[in-house]
Amino acid sequence: MKWSVDIKGVISPLKILNAFWQKPNTIAYPAVKKETAKGYRGFHTNLLADCIGCANCQDVCMNDAIDMIKVDTEYNAKNSSQCIPRIDYGRCCWCALCTDVCPPNSLKLDEEFVGVSKYASDFLYMPKDK
Amino acid sequence: MENKHITIFHGPQHPGITGNMSVELDLIGETIQKATTHVGYLHRGFEKLIERRTVIQAFTIVCRICVPEPDPNEANFAMAVEELTGLEVSPRAQYIRVMVLELSRLAAQFLWMAGQSGSVGLYAVGQWAIADRDLILDLFEELTGARVYHMYIYPGGVRRDLPEGFLQKVQKLLIYMKKRLLDYDDIFINNASFKNRAIGVGVVNKDEAIQNAYVGQVLRGCGIKADVRKDAPYLVYNELDFEVPTQEAGDVYARALVRRAEMDQSVHILEQVIAKMPEGEIMNKLPTHRKFKLPRDDTWVKVESARGEFAYYMAGDGSENIRRMQVRGPSLVHGFTLLEKLLVGQELSDVALIMNSLGICPPEIER
Amino acid sequence: MFDAIKNQFATDDILIKRADLYKVNVTRQRVFELITFIGNNYNYKTLNAITCTDWIEEGHFALTYIISTLDRKSTIMVQTMINREEAHIDSLSKEFIQAEIFERDLAEMYGINFIGNDNLKELSLENWIHTPPLRREFDTLEFVNNNLTFREGREDNLDVKVEMKRIRAEKKAAKEAAKKLEEEVKDGK
Repeated sequence: MKWSVDIKGVISPLKILNAFWQKPNTIAYPAVKKETAKGYRGFHTNLLADCIGCANCQDVCMNDAIDMIKVDTEYNAKNSSQCIPRIDYGRCCWCALCTDVCPPNSLKLDEEFVGVSKYASDFLYMPKDK
Repeated sequence: MENKHITIFHGPQHPGITGNMSVELDLIGETIQKATTHVGYLHRGFEKLIERRTVIQAFTIVCRICVPEPDPNEANFAMAVEELTGLEVSPRAQYIRVMVLELSRLAAQFLWMAGQSGSVGLYAVGQWAIADRDLILDLFEELTGARVYHMYIYPGGVRRDLPEGFLQKVQKLLIYMKKRLLDYDDIFINNASFKNRAIGVGVVNKDEAIQNAYVGQVLRGCGIKADVRKDAPYLVYNELDFEVPTQEAGDVYARALVRRAEMDQSVHILEQVIAKMPEGEIMNKLPTHRKFKLPRDDTWVKVESARGEFAYYMAGDGSENIRRMQVRGPSLVHGFTLLEKLLVGQELSDVALIMNSLGICPPEIER
Repeated sequence: MFDAIKNQFATDDILIKRADLYKVNVTRQRVFELITFIGNNYNYKTLNAITCTDWIEEGHFALTYIISTLDRKSTIMVQTMINREEAHIDSLSKEFIQAEIFERDLAEMYGINFIGNDNLKELSLENWIHTPPLRREFDTLEFVNNNLTFREGREDNLDVKVEMKRIRAEKKAAKEAAKKLEEEVKDGK
């Protein structure tokens, strides 16, 4: 590479020093949190009063992440199999196909997205009832 | 004193953001005699995964094939399925698809700028580029529900409608971008140290370029006006007004100028899309996923991504599974044939510079 | 152009899929003659891709060469069938320099031998000794179940159809038992 005289090319990059007087792009997380947009595909929620235990979600999930299990709660009277979904977050890719095919629209995705745990068994996530 | 003959791995970690691939270099002193590309760090087996899944299940994993720019994959998959089954897409869905593809192209060009400036040593430009790309990802978060892997362009339409006030937000972002891109001209494109590194390095031979199936900015940097949006228009690109910028020199600096001009063209296309957005339906009703069958037929579709022509081959066999889907990304030929040819005779410090300017993305080489 | 191909290669299997996409089917022995013919006379000189589809039920691979013109406005797919058990065909890497990497990919994934290409080393896999992966007889689910272990914790998965049947049978049995009890009480009275 040869060096040639280029005054404009040497002076104009100094414009970057303007950044000292501009507002920074970063925020002081965790003191200041960024607002998540509405409709973000976060963790699952399942309204048990509506869930009918049809296992459409288990059928369409393309990672085999959903298990239908019996737990000790109040079921919907229309729940003909007495089972509700539990999702393995080690396999889930948050594509939201399970929410698209749910007939009574009880399975939805929330805006929460932080889930940290020391134990791998915590990744078998039971959706919150709301 | 003689220079020694050594072989080194320009290994999977790079000073610019090119991804996980390595180049084995035979050197005498600092000049390269022979280069061999090694890939295999990112093989996830997509083409085998697709065989066991139905069409709607496969649509959710297709976007993960290319990491910097997932949307051309979704658009290709949707176009191939629509062609095999004869689905129609409404005008509003087509305009929304064009908007998503152009925003994704702009975000990918920012990522290129971060990588190219990192390979030259101008790290501040990279930080600015990633911060500006983040503003585009905020828009995607609101529209599709995720920042990088959108899963939005569905066979038959798009998945959700535009939220309230979305077009005004895009308009505001475009006004900011037009001013900001001029700053990048000052600190990066006209920067004397970048020009002196990049002019005359990595020159591509124009006469054999088309025959060897090079695509994208490699052709446009040599003076050939090649763009799938003009040669074989898809979606509504034949109703929009834009140009295809070219340069003559064929070196790294010419390709950088072409990319910078394309960012301006993307902003121009987005302004037209916002002004012309029609009303209407966004999605056709599809049969349930175990009943959505593909006929026994095959097709070849292509899209212009930020790095060149991206093409899919899809074959169905009459059942609800896809028989074969082959992904032919722009980097398959650039990463092997072109790179091994261009690197002979260059210096060791220019390897990262050339890899970044060819736009090599390893995830789509080995799927 | 289609008439010339029909006359010279005695094939009627030409499809027009879109305005810019055609497909021709020929036998394995005449594939290279056809590619050279359309290259010299009609400007189809860019090899874009080589793909392969496995039709295991019919016993052959369908190998497709996708070639487009120098002005990028028209594409033609040349398809030929090769035997699955001993898959081999001549290599195109002398005429098209980019064919070398396409054939290397297919040789690794399907086990096809391209005669004349001497760079058929491994590309994406490393030290793979089982069946070539993209062949349809390689069952990934069976391979994974035999060779890998899964994490505990998901054994309480129930089959919903079985549960529904069981609950309906229980309800029916409970109803019949209640009816019988009622009748016994009536008889007893």
